[in-house]
Amino acid sequence: MFPTTLVNQLAKLSNQQNKLQNQAATGQRVQLPEDDPTAMRRVLDLQTDTQALGQYRTNIARLQEMATASYDGIKSIKTVSDRASEIATLADDTKSQAELTTYATEVTQLIQQAVQSANATYQGDYVFGGTQNDQAAFVVVTDPVTGCVTSVTYQGNASVIEAEVAENATASVQVPGVNNTGSGTHGLITDSRNGADLFNHLISLQNHLLAGDTTAIKDTDIANLSKDEENLLYQLGNNGAIQSQLETADAVASDQISSLGTLISREADADIAQTLVRLSQTQTAYKAALQSGATILNQSLMDYLR
Amino acid sequence: MLGLFGTLGLAQRSLSTQQQGVEVAGHNLANVSNSDYTRQRIIVQTGQTVPSTIGPQGTGSVVVGIAQLRSALVDRQIQDETSVGGFLDAQQQALQYAQANLGQEIDTTGSDSTSTSGQSGLAQGLSDLFNAFQSLSTDPTSLAERQVVLMKSLSLTQQFNQTSQRLDTLRTSLNDSVESDASSINTILSEVAKLNDQIINTETGNAGSANDLRDTRQSKLNELAELVKIDTVEQDNGAVNISIGGVLMVSDKTVLDQIETYDAGGGHILVRSQSTGQAITPTSGQLAGTIDARDGALASLQADLDLLATQLISEVNAIHTTGYNLSGTNGANFFTGTDAGDITVNATLLNDPSLIQASGASDAVGDNTTALALAQLANTSFASLGNQTFSERYNQTVAQLGQELSSTNSQITNQETVMKALQQQHDSVSGVSLDEEMTDLMKYQRAYEASARLISVLDAMLETVVNLKR
Repeated sequence: MFPTTLVNQLAKLSNQQNKLQNQAATGQRVQLPEDDPTAMRRVLDLQTDTQALGQYRTNIARLQEMATASYDGIKSIKTVSDRASEIATLADDTKSQAELTTYATEVTQLIQQAVQSANATYQGDYVFGGTQNDQAAFVVVTDPVTGCVTSVTYQGNASVIEAEVAENATASVQVPGVNNTGSGTHGLITDSRNGADLFNHLISLQNHLLAGDTTAIKDTDIANLSKDEENLLYQLGNNGAIQSQLETADAVASDQISSLGTLISREADADIAQTLVRLSQTQTAYKAALQSGATILNQSLMDYLR
Repeated sequence: MLGLFGTLGLAQRSLSTQQQGVEVAGHNLANVSNSDYTRQRIIVQTGQTVPSTIGPQGTGSVVVGIAQLRSALVDRQIQDETSVGGFLDAQQQALQYAQANLGQEIDTTGSDSTSTSGQSGLAQGLSDLFNAFQSLSTDPTSLAERQVVLMKSLSLTQQFNQTSQRLDTLRTSLNDSVESDASSINTILSEVAKLNDQIINTETGNAGSANDLRDTRQSKLNELAELVKIDTVEQDNGAVNISIGGVLMVSDKTVLDQIETYDAGGGHILVRSQSTGQAITPTSGQLAGTIDARDGALASLQADLDLLATQLISEVNAIHTTGYNLSGTNGANFFTGTDAGDITVNATLLNDPSLIQASGASDAVGDNTTALALAQLANTSFASLGNQTFSERYNQTVAQLGQELSSTNSQITNQETVMKALQQQHDSVSGVSLDEEMTDLMKYQRAYEASARLISVLDAMLETVVNLKR
């Protein structure tokens, strides 16, 4: 009877020892569903949330890259717009036709430069083409004889993509080249709401300079170019605001990941100090059981019979 | 008065009594490590008295029988507890296999902001799928992102397939276990019937009881009880009648009925009486535990995984078919298949990532409406999933399995405590104690010496009497 009892006790202590040793080695109190089903459920849910937050941060990083690419494009178009406004102001009655023609040639080059900037690509997509970004955003048509720009046509659309930066919260960094729908993201070059239409205004300035029509320049072009400049300033400001918004969202996601990490740790981690103490206690009990069992097993009536 | 010869006879009978005592003590000692053995004792009574002038005089001792020290109550309780133990052990084993096949564990070393690992199994697969759709939504035209989506979804479908297959294999092996248990039950029933026959033959018309045969039979009954809950009734002739689930299986030395397995439809192997065809639903024992685990926790786990896969297929396809691929066409499914066993990614998409329909407009390849909608499925609750998201529903399934197993584990711990207590009671009544047997041995040895001394004394007295006349 005693041997059976001893074997049972040793088996129980041995099991306990193994379990505690496993907890100490992995640092986890819960590893399999049977260890603590409720905690398992909570930890799985928390880990799913953590991974989703990690993905939002990845999305934010990608959007920040796109925003930076946009910013570079907008800035270089702004330099064109600034120079064009300057030319429009300089082109008054005091200038000779030859000088006006020189200005016209410069404006032609400015248009080409602006179109090139507006056709910037990022990872194979045209940045300012809206969602029809597999082809160049703008196409320039030049007169083969005079070399002047006759038209710039937009091949994209006014739609932009939104991406999630938090649960049920999306952000958009795309800027379409042209938006004449009256709603949505303002177009970079042309927007029906604020009257911006940079390329057409530049072409008009170019043509007026070629024709020597300084009155038209003074009455129309300067005002038009001013609208374009305001639009571009708006775009730059908007870009800055979006980048700031993305940084905030990223910081929030990062903080949330940290606090979820703490919660996961609280649920699943073993208290190492407590585990080691209990392991030590169990080992001592095991040794004591072995020693005392061995002593008792060795004793028998037969030792005392002659 | 007995007289000298009478007393000699008394001494000789006493020698015989002590010798039988030693034999039985020796038999007990020989069986000290036999767990099925019940210790025996000789029943010694005084011999028949003879009338004498001074009143009835005793004629020494006589062994009237060899008794087993067993408690029928403890035996019955141990039998019932063995059934309970068998039931719980079978359930625990089946559930542990199911948990292992599901392969879901947590690893907290990976859950920080720089690492996206930390889960494993299907939980990781589901997270990866929806995160891949998220990445696609930020860059819908990228072939690299599309390739990632396809790889992650293929990995998830393969996990579904493998898990489903493993659970099917487990189900098949549980069915095999039911069949083998039924066969074992039938074998043991025959053995008990034979033992009944032997016991009847030994005890009918003869003195005493067939102690060792009864020990063997009780151990067979315990073996049977571990497999299935039995009801036993001891008859007057020493035989034990056995019923399983109310159906009489063994009566005296005849096996009246046997257990057979049958397919109740849908791969449910159940048991019934072979002669009447009446279904038997055992409530305890290994057989019942296996059937319960198979048709309860395992079936519900498989059903949950199938539901998850079916819903995933239908919800993802519903959104995907409305989107447009890089060529501006739509209508293709993302997943093919019907449940966890055959869910897979559409082969045409696997061959050409550009065919993933991420855009919401046929003429704008840069649009991501469909990809975004697919990504947002992660946070959508579905009524068919109990108003939970895919991940939440899966996590609930895992927790449910864990709960079943955890509760079985604690029941087993409790049952083991009860069993140990019963075993100790049994051992204290029926177990052989070396010290006690040695003491008895000494007692009988000394008594034998005393009786031998009595014979020597009588011998001397007889010699004196004989030598009275020279």
